[in-house]
Amino acid sequence: MTDKGIYEDFSQVRRRAGVVYVIVGLICAAALIWYWKIQILDFKKFDALSVANRTRETELPAARGILTDRTGTIVLADNRASFNASFIRENTKDEAGSIRRAAALLGLDPAVIAARIEKYRSWPAFRPIVVKDNLTFGEVARVEARKNDMPELIVETEPKRIYPRGTLAAHVLGYLREADADDLKAHPERLRPGDVIGKMGIEGSYDERIAGRNGTLVEIVDSLGRRQGEVERIEPEAGPRLALSLDCDLQAAAEELLAGKEGSVVVLDPATGDVLAMASSPTFDPNKFITRFTPEEWQALVDNPENPLLNRAIQGQYSPGSLFKPVMGIVGLMTGAIAPESTIYCPGAAEIYGAVRHCWNEAGHGALALRDAIRYSCNFFFYTLGRRISIDTIAQYARMMGLGRKTGFDIGGEREGLVPDTAWKKTTNDKVWYPGETISVAIGQGQLQATPLQMAAVAARLANRGRGIRPHLMRDASGVIPGEKPLDIPASIFEQVIEGMWRSVNLGGTGEAARVERFDVCGKTGSTQTISRETADRIAGAARIKKTHSWFMGFAPRRQPRIAVAVLVEYGGGGGATAAPIAGRLFALFKEKDDRSRASSGN
Amino acid sequence: MIDRAHLREIDWVLVGLMLANTLVGILLIYSATFFSGGGQAVKQLVWMVVGLGVFFLTITIDYKVWMAFAPYLYGLFLLFMISLFVFGKTVAGARSWFGFAFMGGQPSELAKVVVILILARTFAEYRASFAAPGMIALCFGLVGLPVGLILLQPDFGTAMCFVPLLLGALVLAGMSKKTLIVLLLGAVVLSVAGWEVFLKDYQKKRIEVMINPAQDPRGAGYHVLQSQIAIGSGGLTGKGFLKGTQSRLRFLPARHTDFIYAVLGEEFGFAGILFVTAIYFAMLRRIFRSVGQSRDRSGIYITFLAGVSISFQFLVNILMIVGLLPITGIPIPLLSYGGSSLLATYFALGLVVNVKMRRFANV
Repeated sequence: MTDKGIYEDFSQVRRRAGVVYVIVGLICAAALIWYWKIQILDFKKFDALSVANRTRETELPAARGILTDRTGTIVLADNRASFNASFIRENTKDEAGSIRRAAALLGLDPAVIAARIEKYRSWPAFRPIVVKDNLTFGEVARVEARKNDMPELIVETEPKRIYPRGTLAAHVLGYLREADADDLKAHPERLRPGDVIGKMGIEGSYDERIAGRNGTLVEIVDSLGRRQGEVERIEPEAGPRLALSLDCDLQAAAEELLAGKEGSVVVLDPATGDVLAMASSPTFDPNKFITRFTPEEWQALVDNPENPLLNRAIQGQYSPGSLFKPVMGIVGLMTGAIAPESTIYCPGAAEIYGAVRHCWNEAGHGALALRDAIRYSCNFFFYTLGRRISIDTIAQYARMMGLGRKTGFDIGGEREGLVPDTAWKKTTNDKVWYPGETISVAIGQGQLQATPLQMAAVAARLANRGRGIRPHLMRDASGVIPGEKPLDIPASIFEQVIEGMWRSVNLGGTGEAARVERFDVCGKTGSTQTISRETADRIAGAARIKKTHSWFMGFAPRRQPRIAVAVLVEYGGGGGATAAPIAGRLFALFKEKDDRSRASSGN
Repeated sequence: MIDRAHLREIDWVLVGLMLANTLVGILLIYSATFFSGGGQAVKQLVWMVVGLGVFFLTITIDYKVWMAFAPYLYGLFLLFMISLFVFGKTVAGARSWFGFAFMGGQPSELAKVVVILILARTFAEYRASFAAPGMIALCFGLVGLPVGLILLQPDFGTAMCFVPLLLGALVLAGMSKKTLIVLLLGAVVLSVAGWEVFLKDYQKKRIEVMINPAQDPRGAGYHVLQSQIAIGSGGLTGKGFLKGTQSRLRFLPARHTDFIYAVLGEEFGFAGILFVTAIYFAMLRRIFRSVGQSRDRSGIYITFLAGVSISFQFLVNILMIVGLLPITGIPIPLLSYGGSSLLATYFALGLVVNVKMRRFANV
């Protein structure tokens, strides 16, 4: 075995290695000089710093903005101080023992505290973890009394959301929950684990605006983490006080009128798009969610078959039924399928496309023009329109009127409803459209679907003789639909339909129950027959499911309208019997308030 | 492969210094973590025992054999690091922790030693007195491949540790001053580009803060300031074992890994710093002295590059914790807590001892 190595001269290579070694040595020496400088020369400075340098940084939660009604005087969402018991992991060596003691002190199951701590195990050990909130004064006193021998348990104060009017406008306001993993991922710069975030309604959609900005507190702590003094405090910045467009009297009345029923009421200002009232029933108490520790109540709400968390005004989709007839009237006049004075004969029942169709009035209405067809809600008149006009033309006008698309409402979760046409049927079912289906759509049945908010917006559009508005809950939000051009429909055509709606309420039509003296209410009732089998199975009480959904939409007064209303009562029976009186009460209340304010302002 | 003649030639002084430094490390790790139970010190002790096994396995097999296997190990590590992107679990933002193998170890630590072996193999027959351009390019490729993969993880600190291996190999091969200047200029250009392209915001901030730690005492400068305060407040003799307030109050992050020297400075003062630096430097000196006692060129490269690698990490760490270099997350071999770092260092020192004990040809 030969090895060339022993014959080689490595002196050059060794010299280079030696140079590197010397450089390492020199850097080492330089480092030591620097250590000597900071440890010996600057010792006093760093020693002083080390004594002062026992700080703990905590977040000071900001109060959320106060929410009020449209006048800015009635508070709908407020804050009050709440005391939380929080656990600081780094202040204990015996975590299990501390958890047991804390549980005994707070009257909790140790497993609950252990689970909370486990959930936030990844936090720095000095960050307090809330283990119980909403402490009573007794509990605060007990925790404070043990301050010295239990430094791991502290009392923190936190502004806590409170909804002074309880369930009032619950769906509009929304509620708060502790931020979950998805929320934290979505807002890493704003949210920290343990923060609350608005869910649903105004609290949800305007969360960032309402939340305010958290402050910071830097405290000096001793080696056991007990507070010795304060270094720096950046005060939290509370969220701004915000006025909603709600009128509390109308809101309260709407909720009262819906009590015990399932349904929704929407009241709009047709001029501005202000939502004056938005009620959905059944409802819930948002105060119940504010605490971090109500999993059972939360689960009960989520599991409730009547779904109280659903905001039916924007998330419930129903066949508009006869509420669609004014829209059909406009289509008929615009396409020339009918003239204002042309009459159609209603026999009460007749065969159309091979199936027997009935009018709700089995005796028949006889010959009717459009205004009386709307007044009496005659089905045959509109069946005939459905035979004369193609579904795609009907759909085109329905969309122009704001159906089948979101209204642009400023709180999230809005459903868009459905306007069926041949293309839709082709893409969803891959089937051709049957003329019989057009007949159903012509009276607002079939696949046609709309939310109560959409129907209120349709009422507002009729009131405005074509001009659409974007409904909104924040007082300062815009009521203009972005990008919408004025409709190519003459005001005279709207007047024909409005005449029908006026007759419906004021001349012994189906909407009579909505009539208000000297207020010229124009409206339309609806009673929709469709019900999905799943809903029927879900609802207890078989008698109810045979009832129709009860609808009303309308506006008042006829000239210069100031209020537009949509009412839906699930399984409420006839629209004229159930929904129209609710609308009538709201029109009356609005007029009464309006008269009073006009009187007091001297007009 | 091993016989009594070899055993007699084991550098026991180097082995002793290696163990002494490891034990000092365990003592400091205990102090840094005893508040939360000190479990890491016990773990490190276990790693030391495992490390001794690795060490003796390393010296049993001739370093020539290790070098023969180097390309396979190198290829294996490249595959391994690529697989990190598939299976790696993310720890502290980096993918470098391989969850299944190595009991939670960092393969890039061992990759350093494999790169030392492959560089030594590359230069084994290199006789020229200067580094030829082709050779420089080859070295860049050999080192650049794992570095690129580690940067992608992204683990800037670990990737940095490969740079001295590359420069060390080239300097030893006789790179001209001109080439060195060109390379350094290239590095400047690359780092400017890298600043814009590769560095994450948190890394940029660390470097910015190094320039002025006071600019942001609550942010990235916080750590540097905290460690300076810990060290400075140690004074001449320190606050005493387990008596450090700064490290105990947990103002120091990663105090048992990157900031282990700060714990030393606070609890044992400048005297402790002097003592530990002395025994650490004694170990480095022993390694560099061994460079001249190798029978062949590859042995010289192994010994020298091991020395450069350990020196680099040690110097960068002790400079960064006092604010003289940016905080890059480079631990001190043997002193800082970490199983794979300890095993890799024992492997490297095993190779150094291996080379020296086989310095007599044809034995």
